[in-house]
Amino acid sequence: LNFMAVGDVYALGEFEQVVLLAILRLGEDAYAVSIREEILRCTGRDVSRGSVYITLDRLETKGFLRSRLADPTPERGGRAKRYYELRSPAVEALKESRRALVALWRGLERVLA
Amino acid sequence: MTPRPPFALRMLARWLPGDLRDPIAGDLAEEYLARRERGARTRATVWVWCQALRLAAVFRWERLVRVRGVPPIAEELRSVTTMWDRLRQDVVFSVRMLRRQPGFTSVALIALALGIGANTAIFSVVDGVLWRPLPFPGADRVMSLAEQRPRESRWFGPVSPADYFDWLRDSRSFSAMAAYSTTGPAGAFNLTGNGDPERVRPLEVAPAFLGVIGVMPALGRDLRAEEATLGRHRVVLLSDGLWRRRFGADPSVVGRTIAFDGHPYEIVGVLPAQFWWPSRPDVVVPLALADRDRALRAAHFLEIVARLRDGVTPAQAQEDLRLIGARLSQAYPLENANHFPNLRPLRDALVGDMRPALLILLAAVAFVMLIACANVATLLLARAASRQKELSVRRAVGATRFRVVQQMLTESLVVAFAGGAAGLLIAAWGLAAFRSIMPAQFADLPGIAGVGIDGRVLLATVVLSAITGMIFGVVPALVASDYRIGIALNEETRGSSGSVRARRLRSGLVVAELAMSLVLLAGAALLIVSFKNLVNVSPGFQPAQLAIARITLPASRYGDHARTVGLFDALYERLRGAPGVERVGATTSLPFDGPGSRLSFTIENRTARSPFPVRAHPRIVSTDYFRTMGIPIVRGRAFSEHDTESSGHVVVINEAAARRYWPDENPVGQRISLGAPAEWREIVGVAADTRHEGLDADAAPAAFLPQRQGFFNVGAGFERTMTLVIRTGRDAASLTPILRTSVASIDPQLPIGMVRPMDDVIGESIAPRRLNFVLVSAFAVVALVLTAAGLYGVMAYVVAQRTREIGVRMALGATRRQVLGLMFRQAGSMTAAGIALGITGALVLTRSMTSLLFGVSAADPLVYAGVSAILAAVAFVAVAVPSSRATRIDPLLALRDS
Repeated sequence: LNFMAVGDVYALGEFEQVVLLAILRLGEDAYAVSIREEILRCTGRDVSRGSVYITLDRLETKGFLRSRLADPTPERGGRAKRYYELRSPAVEALKESRRALVALWRGLERVLA
Repeated sequence: MTPRPPFALRMLARWLPGDLRDPIAGDLAEEYLARRERGARTRATVWVWCQALRLAAVFRWERLVRVRGVPPIAEELRSVTTMWDRLRQDVVFSVRMLRRQPGFTSVALIALALGIGANTAIFSVVDGVLWRPLPFPGADRVMSLAEQRPRESRWFGPVSPADYFDWLRDSRSFSAMAAYSTTGPAGAFNLTGNGDPERVRPLEVAPAFLGVIGVMPALGRDLRAEEATLGRHRVVLLSDGLWRRRFGADPSVVGRTIAFDGHPYEIVGVLPAQFWWPSRPDVVVPLALADRDRALRAAHFLEIVARLRDGVTPAQAQEDLRLIGARLSQAYPLENANHFPNLRPLRDALVGDMRPALLILLAAVAFVMLIACANVATLLLARAASRQKELSVRRAVGATRFRVVQQMLTESLVVAFAGGAAGLLIAAWGLAAFRSIMPAQFADLPGIAGVGIDGRVLLATVVLSAITGMIFGVVPALVASDYRIGIALNEETRGSSGSVRARRLRSGLVVAELAMSLVLLAGAALLIVSFKNLVNVSPGFQPAQLAIARITLPASRYGDHARTVGLFDALYERLRGAPGVERVGATTSLPFDGPGSRLSFTIENRTARSPFPVRAHPRIVSTDYFRTMGIPIVRGRAFSEHDTESSGHVVVINEAAARRYWPDENPVGQRISLGAPAEWREIVGVAADTRHEGLDADAAPAAFLPQRQGFFNVGAGFERTMTLVIRTGRDAASLTPILRTSVASIDPQLPIGMVRPMDDVIGESIAPRRLNFVLVSAFAVVALVLTAAGLYGVMAYVVAQRTREIGVRMALGATRRQVLGLMFRQAGSMTAAGIALGITGALVLTRSMTSLLFGVSAADPLVYAGVSAILAAVAFVAVAVPSSRATRIDPLLALRDS
């Protein structure tokens, strides 16, 4: 299984972290297409659309994300766009992830450099 | 303008959960448009389909996982990978299962391979001929113009030169229009010099012709407008084939001169290799008409193609032509009363009456396919029942119903694709066979040369296999997965045969198979009866022991009527003395060799104006023609040696003309004048009708003119292309050398075609019907065999399931007879239902075949009784074998068995 609880804070999966960080970097303009592009730009990973949508959906269900619908436009075939932003549990979880990773990295710089 | 989002997206939207629908479909629409704008339209479409299908699969799976409470998978796309893994497992497992049951597998594979193979083969033919674009750019804008003569029920007849020039001048709907003729004044060309003399097929065209169909010469130039005038018309475009065959593909031929019929023609160009026209011409030459011929309004021999002007619809063009036609029929009531211009797409004109035949074939193979599907489905149902325990165990240890259905569907798809692969082999073989028996009429169809198994056909086969697999797989899978676990596990398969639902379904499928077989059998029987009726039609002459050969005299040396008569007289004389020749004659228009042109004529002293033109086919014939052909003269006399240029001009009409234009009087002794200028001829006799345009076409009015009396109203050169008819006691082929030496001794430069038996000419005229009935019958036989196998399988299964019950009955004193009665009652009611349903279906469906039938009604009771009897007999045998096995059951063994 890919998740486990550490105290109160949910330990994020690696891909969940990637998606949350991308949203944070994009600010106002975070929707599925731009999130995918941001991930590609920063990490070089061309992730599938399906995984992005599913992850966004799950993160929202878990209360990490909040979304809003923008007005439909003709170039989208008259369909609305869904923008995402982080809620505070997500920020907490990211901090916790970072803390855990940094702790684990500490002292290993020479081994893995 | 923003284009409508593709169908893929609308479909995807339906599959997605409500809250995600809009954002996801919108994102894809956005990216799709961006890709399209970059120019790669097709690739964008493929992309959006792939994405939509993938996302649909992902979210379907995702929802399933959530509903079942499976823990969510946070990493990457686990669901998709596991889906592929599962699919791979299912396929491997299916292959293993299928190999373990070679009996089931081979029967299913054979049924599917036959069905898919036949469908692939016929699809590739129909696709090539009816659906693929013609090999001309913008071919859908090219129309074929023709003349509609409702009274003769001729909807697309040839056009007279004067009408053509009027249409050309007055119509506003076409960017270009061009007449052409394959049977016009020049007939065939004799190519001399540069090797042996050779007959080449010309296509005479108005200079705009290549422009209309959008073809450019590969070498040299197109024809020029002024080359349509006599005197400047001696230019020629070579076909790629002739250029390679005769000139070794030498590019410097352009500008050279070659001799046709002794006249020098300048080669102005070479046509591209992909140039195609039904008559497969060797050369394209300008259609140059003499002024007298240009003014002909009563002689119909031109065909016309035209390209629609941009923005003009076919309906608008039709209206434009209608107005011109109305004006012309007012201005020229004698020739044009009740004639209307008509138009249809060029493809329809080229495919002509082959379309219904092809579509019937396609329908027939579709039925074979459905029967094969029903067959495999019954097999699967029986198999599912025997796997009841296995499936129950799977359910009991936690497999969802979805999972079981998925596994079973995979199995049917594996069978379907294996059947499809085998079907491709059968199709390739069938197409090769089809090509070798293909009649000449098929060889002239557009696209037929390219028919074969290519990407498009392959795709069709794959799609067909997938659909097939789903059709026959889904119902058995749903039924099989529906067993309540506890019951199935505890219960030995006891009592009667399987669940009520499965049993009903099996009977239903067998009834459907029987019904579809009956429809196919009825269709095949109607075609066979039609063919038999047709073959029994008397052509009106005696075709046995009659040989024919075409001869064309070059205009350069035989421009003079007396010379032509001299040559033929000498030839008849020489042939009469030749061994094996009993009689010899000649005609300009042989029965079954195309309709030929027709002319208006006037009847002397007839005052009442007919509302319709009085017309007949002119046929120049030799003195001995009627006797050689065996055509009886029913009134008056035939031509004699005394009918010469210097004696009074005479004519013989046929019974059809006598019936139509002299219904209540004796035409013999009356005078008529054919065409213009007036030239009176006395009717000296009435000849019996002969079938001319085919055995299925009634005789049209005809006027026979003696060869020795010159006749020039049809168009110059009409009398120079004659067909010799020879009554012989010998094999036709053995006459070829005799004819060659006879001709050579009179004019060594005249080429002469093959001598052929007249029976072959008639045979060719009915070859498409023969092909049609042979193919449909073959499909009907396949259907019958499949149905018999299906019925046999079901009854064998029922017997196997009821072994115990039968054992008990027999132990309690039931006789063999009673047991057999039990089985036959069950099979009998299925057969009766199948036949009743089939007759109903056939009565509806065979109505669409009316145009292919001859001398038999689509609802012929005898045909229906006959095919019902055949089907009942086959069903009886299919039931008798397993049932008689049931009566030999030893009660003791049957009871111990459980």
